Amino acid sequence: MTTNSLTFPRFIPRPKSDTGIWSWIGTVDHKRIGTLYGLTAFMWFIVGGIEALMIRVQLAQAESTLIGPETFNQLFTMHGTTMVFLVIMPLSAAFFNWLIPLQIGARDVAFPRLNALSYWVFLAGGLILNFSWITGNAPNGGWFGYAPNSGATFNPGLGMTYWIVGLNILGVASIAAGLNFIVTIINMRAPGMTMFKMPVFTWMTLVTSVLLVLAMPVLAVAGIQLQTDRVYGTHFFNSLGGGDPVMWQHIFWLFGHPEVYILILPAMGIVSEVLPTFARKPLFGYPFVIFAGIVIGFMGWFVWSHHMFTVGLGPAANSAFAISTMLIAVPTGVKIFNWIGTLWGGNLKLNTAMLFSISFIAMFTIGGLSGVMHASPPTDAQQQDTYFIVAHFHYVLVGGALLGIFSGIYFWWPKFTGWFLNEKLGLANWALMMIGFNLQFAPQHWLGLDGMPRRIYTYAENMGWENSNLAASIGGFVLGLGILVFMFNVLYSKMNKKIAPADPWDGRTLEWSTSSPPPPHDFDVIPQVQYRDDFWFKKYPETVAEYYGHGDDHAVPSGAQFDDEPVNAIPTVSGGAEDHGHGDDGHGGGHAIHLPDKSYYPFILGVGISILGIGFLTHFSVFLVGAPFFIWGLLGWSLEPVNDPA
Amino acid sequence: MHRVFKLSFPLRPAIVLLVPVAIALLAACTPDNNQSTFGTAGPIARDQAALFKFIFWIAAVVFVLVEGAVIYASIRFRQRSSSDKLPHQTHGNNKLEITWTIIPALILIAVAVPTLTQIWEQQSGVPDDRGEVLNVEAIGHQWWFEFRYPDHEIITSNELHIPVGRPVSFKLDSQDVIHSFWVPKIAGKVDMVPLNDNYMWMIGDEIGEYYGQCAEFCGIAHAHMRFRVFVHSEEDFQAWADGMHVAADAPAPGSPEASGQQGFNTYCSTCHTNNSTTPGSYAREISFQDARWNGWISDIENAAIVSAPNLTHFGTRTTLAAGLKELNHSTLVDWITDPSSIKIGTRMQEHAAVYNTEDGTADLSPGQVSDIATYLLSLKPGSGSGGGAPATGGGVVDGAEVFATNCSNCHSTTDIKIVGPGLAGIGDRAGSRVPGLGVDEYIKQSLTDPAAYVVDDYPAVMTDWGHLGTETIEALVTYLKTLK
Repeated sequence: MTTNSLTFPRFIPRPKSDTGIWSWIGTVDHKRIGTLYGLTAFMWFIVGGIEALMIRVQLAQAESTLIGPETFNQLFTMHGTTMVFLVIMPLSAAFFNWLIPLQIGARDVAFPRLNALSYWVFLAGGLILNFSWITGNAPNGGWFGYAPNSGATFNPGLGMTYWIVGLNILGVASIAAGLNFIVTIINMRAPGMTMFKMPVFTWMTLVTSVLLVLAMPVLAVAGIQLQTDRVYGTHFFNSLGGGDPVMWQHIFWLFGHPEVYILILPAMGIVSEVLPTFARKPLFGYPFVIFAGIVIGFMGWFVWSHHMFTVGLGPAANSAFAISTMLIAVPTGVKIFNWIGTLWGGNLKLNTAMLFSISFIAMFTIGGLSGVMHASPPTDAQQQDTYFIVAHFHYVLVGGALLGIFSGIYFWWPKFTGWFLNEKLGLANWALMMIGFNLQFAPQHWLGLDGMPRRIYTYAENMGWENSNLAASIGGFVLGLGILVFMFNVLYSKMNKKIAPADPWDGRTLEWSTSSPPPPHDFDVIPQVQYRDDFWFKKYPETVAEYYGHGDDHAVPSGAQFDDEPVNAIPTVSGGAEDHGHGDDGHGGGHAIHLPDKSYYPFILGVGISILGIGFLTHFSVFLVGAPFFIWGLLGWSLEPVNDPA
Repeated sequence: MHRVFKLSFPLRPAIVLLVPVAIALLAACTPDNNQSTFGTAGPIARDQAALFKFIFWIAAVVFVLVEGAVIYASIRFRQRSSSDKLPHQTHGNNKLEITWTIIPALILIAVAVPTLTQIWEQQSGVPDDRGEVLNVEAIGHQWWFEFRYPDHEIITSNELHIPVGRPVSFKLDSQDVIHSFWVPKIAGKVDMVPLNDNYMWMIGDEIGEYYGQCAEFCGIAHAHMRFRVFVHSEEDFQAWADGMHVAADAPAPGSPEASGQQGFNTYCSTCHTNNSTTPGSYAREISFQDARWNGWISDIENAAIVSAPNLTHFGTRTTLAAGLKELNHSTLVDWITDPSSIKIGTRMQEHAAVYNTEDGTADLSPGQVSDIATYLLSLKPGSGSGGGAPATGGGVVDGAEVFATNCSNCHSTTDIKIVGPGLAGIGDRAGSRVPGLGVDEYIKQSLTDPAAYVVDDYPAVMTDWGHLGTETIEALVTYLKTLK
C-alpha cells in the first residue's frame, strides 16, 4: 500500500535478530528501551551515590582535608546534576517506557524510533558529562550553574562547558520523550479508555511529559546563552560586560521548579498504583488526585522565584512568590490525604512495594512541611543556602521520588522479568534505606538552623556541627548499604527464580492482564475498556456497583454494563487510535499482529548528536566528523520504511 | 511467631522516624552555637526565628496528625492472616475532599499573614523610629568582605564594627561573583550581586562578637569566606571610629617592626593598603581597589595585582584570612609563608610576585616573615597626631620612605607596570612630556594635579597628593629623579 519513491543506500543491513547486542542497539521495543533506561540510570545512580558518599566522608569531621575544595565542588556539582538528570528523570523514563503502552492497552509508543533516539541521546549526554571526570575537568559551578561564577572569567577550563553540552544533549532526549508520551497517551489508548479511566500513573506521566516539553527548552536556552557568554564573549549573564547574573537565576529556576515536579510526579503516580493494589480497594478520590497533579504541574510555573528570596527582588515580588508557593502546598496536601484515605479501611498487604509507598507518604510529608517553612521569605532568609534546604529537598527527592521509584521497582519487577524479587531481602533493603536516609538527612535540618551553609567543603571545629555531620555521614553509608542489599536481591532472586504469574498482586490495571513478561506485541488482543481500573472490575464484577453506584456523578457510564466476556478487539489493531505502520497490508486482514521493525538509525543519529556535542568541547573540526553521522541518521531514518516489505 | 513478626513490622516506620528526631532534639540542647539562627541578638533575626517557630509548631501538629494517621492506618488495617477479604470499594468522599482542601488553605493563610508583614518590615528600608542610622557599604570579593563607612570615611575588611541598638543600613555589592551577606544571629542573609546593589538593615541589640559567613557558593574558597561583627557600646564604637583616623606610630629605627615595614612596603603594599587614616585616604583606597580590580581582570593569568583587604590597624583585629583563624604572630607567620595552608585558593598566593617560587611559598626568609608579622600586629592607633607621611626630625624628609608608604601600591621603581607606570628613568622622561614643563615641574604637577596630563593607556585613577605638604613633595621629586 505504502511505498517510498525515494530510497536511501543501505550501508548496513537492517537488524533482524532478536538476540545479541545488535538487537539491543537496533531495538525500537518500548520494553527493551525501558530496560536500557533503567539499567543505565541505575549505573549513574551508583556513580552519583559514590559522589555523595565522598562528600559525606569529607564532611564527617570538622576541618577535614581529605578532599580538597576543588574536588569537593566538582563532587557536589556532579552529584546534583547526576541524580537529577541521569538518575531520577531516566528512572522515571524507564517506567514510562515500560508501562505506558501496557497501561493504556497499546502495542508500543507512538514513535518507537524516536523513543530509541531518546535513549541513545540520554546515554550520550550522561557519558559526555561523566567523561569530564576522566579529563580532570568535572564541572565545578554547582548543578544550578549560577552566573557569573559559571562564566569564563571566574571559571576558566572546560568544566562548565561539559555541563552545558551534557545538559543540552540530555534536553534533546527529554523533549523527544515528552512529546512521544504525550502523543502516545492522547492517541493510543485502548478502545473505551477515556481520559478519566486512565491509570493515575499514566495521568502523572502525561502531566510530567507536558512539563518536560515546556521546561527543557528553557534550560536549553539558558545553557546556550551561558555557552555563548563563555565562548563568544556575549554578555547575557556576564556582569563585567553589563549582563545580568540575576537573569540566569530567573531562567534557570523557571526551568528548575517545574523540574522538581518532573522529578516527583512520576513517583506520585507509582504510589497511586501501589497503594490501591495492596490496600485491595480503589484509589481514594481518583479525580481529586488527578486534578491535584494537574494543578501542581500548572502552578509549578508560578513559584520559581522562591529559590531567589534572598536575591533582592524586593518585597512585592517576594510576597507574590511566597503566596504562590504556599498555594501549591494545597494540592500536594490533597494528594497526601487521598493516599491516606486509600489506606484507610483497606486490607493492607505490607510487602516491600507497599512499605516503600507508605514510607513515601511519611517522608514526602516531612519534605512538604519543611517546604512551607521556607516558602516564607523571612524564615527563608535564615534557611536559604543552608543544610536546612539540603535536608528539605532530599526528603522530597529521596524520601519522595526515590522511595516511590523503589516501590515501583518491587511492584512491577515480576511484570518486567517474569520473576519476583525476594521479599525478605526487600524488607532489609527497605529498612536499611529508611534508617540510613533519616539518619543522614534529619540532622541536616538542625545543621541548617544552626547556621551551616551549603556547598562548604569544610567547617570550623567550634561551630557545634560535628555530631550532626557525623550522624549524617554514617546515615549515608547505611543508605548505601541498603542499595547494595537491593543489588544483591536482584542477583539472588535471579539465581533463585520464583516465577511470577501474569497477575501476581491481584492488580488493577491493564498491564497485569498480559503475561509476565509481556510478549513483544504486549497484548494478544487489544483490551476493551469499560471502567477505571478495568482489569480489577472485570475480575470482581460484584464490586462495580459498590465503586460506581453511590448515586453521585460517578455512576456507571451509559452503555457500560458489565459484560462477562470482554468485547473482542480486532487483533491487528496495534494501537488504540491509529495503526502507525506502513508497508503492511494487514488492515482488516485480521491475521497478523505487526510491530515496527528494528532500526539502527536512531543509534546512528544519536552518535552524530554526541559527536557534534563533543565538537563544542574540543575543536570545531570535530563537527566534520559528527555531521556525516547526523545526516546519515536523519536521511536514513526519514527514508526507511517502518516495516520492510516482507 | 509469625504473628509477632507481623505485628512489629508496621511499627518500624515509627521507630525509624523517632531516632533522627531524637538526635535532632538532643543536638538542639546546645543552642548557643555561633551561627545558630536561634540565639538571636537583633530584632530581625528574632522576628525571623519567631516566625519560624510559629510555622514549626503548626507543622509539628500537621506532622503528628499525618504521620499518626499513616502509622495508625498501616497497623489497624494491615492484612491479618492471609484473608483476601475485599474491603469496602469506596471511590472517595467529596465532603472530605473539600475539608482537606480548605483546612490547609486556612492554615496557609495563617502563615501568610505574618509572612507578608515581616517581608514589608524587613525589606522596605530602615524604619524612621529606630534611631540614627549608620550607613555601611559591604562589598563581597573572592573571598573576603570589604566594609566601607561613607559617613566616617573608614574602610576596613572582614571585621565589621557597629554600635549597639542603632540601625545599620547596608548597601550590598559584589566586585566579582555573587556572594551572600549573613550574620545568622542578627539578620537573615541578603545576596551581594555584582552591578546590582541590594539593601538591607539590621540592629545588633546585644554587645558582643558575632559570626558571619558567605552563604552563596562563590568558588574555590567559599567555605573560607567568613567575617565577624562586633557590636559595641556607642562610646566604644566612637572610640573605634576615631581610632581608625589616628595613624599608627612609626616603628623605631632598627626594630623588627621597622624591618617588617620595609618588607611589607616591598612585597605586600601593592595590593594591601595599611594606612587609610588620613583625610582623603578613603577616596584613595576606593580608587586603589578599582585599579587593582582592573589590573587583575584585564590580564588574570599574568596579573601581579589583585583586590585585597585593607589592613589599616590590622593589629586591632582578632581574626585572620576572613574570619578564619585567630590572629596571632604564629598564625600570621603561617599565613604569610604559605597562605594555602590555611585557605586553599586564595588569590594572594596566586598573584603576588613574592609567591612566585617553586613550591608556592613566600620567597622570604623566616626572619623577614616574622618581622612583617610583627609589624602588622603593631598597627594600632598611635599616640601621635597622625598624618600619612612619617614624621621625621631635623626637617629632612626621606623621599624613599615617602614613596614606599604612599606610592608603591601602584608604582614600581622598575619598568614593571602595576597600576600606574613603573618609574625607572622618570627623571629622563619627565622633561619631554608636556611642552613648557621642566622635569621638576612635571613631576610636581603629576603629584598634585594628576588629571592634568595622563599618559596614554593608563587609567586616570590617581588622586591628588597635595596634602602631603610641599616639603614632602619636594623630597619625593628628588627621590624619583634618582630612579634609573
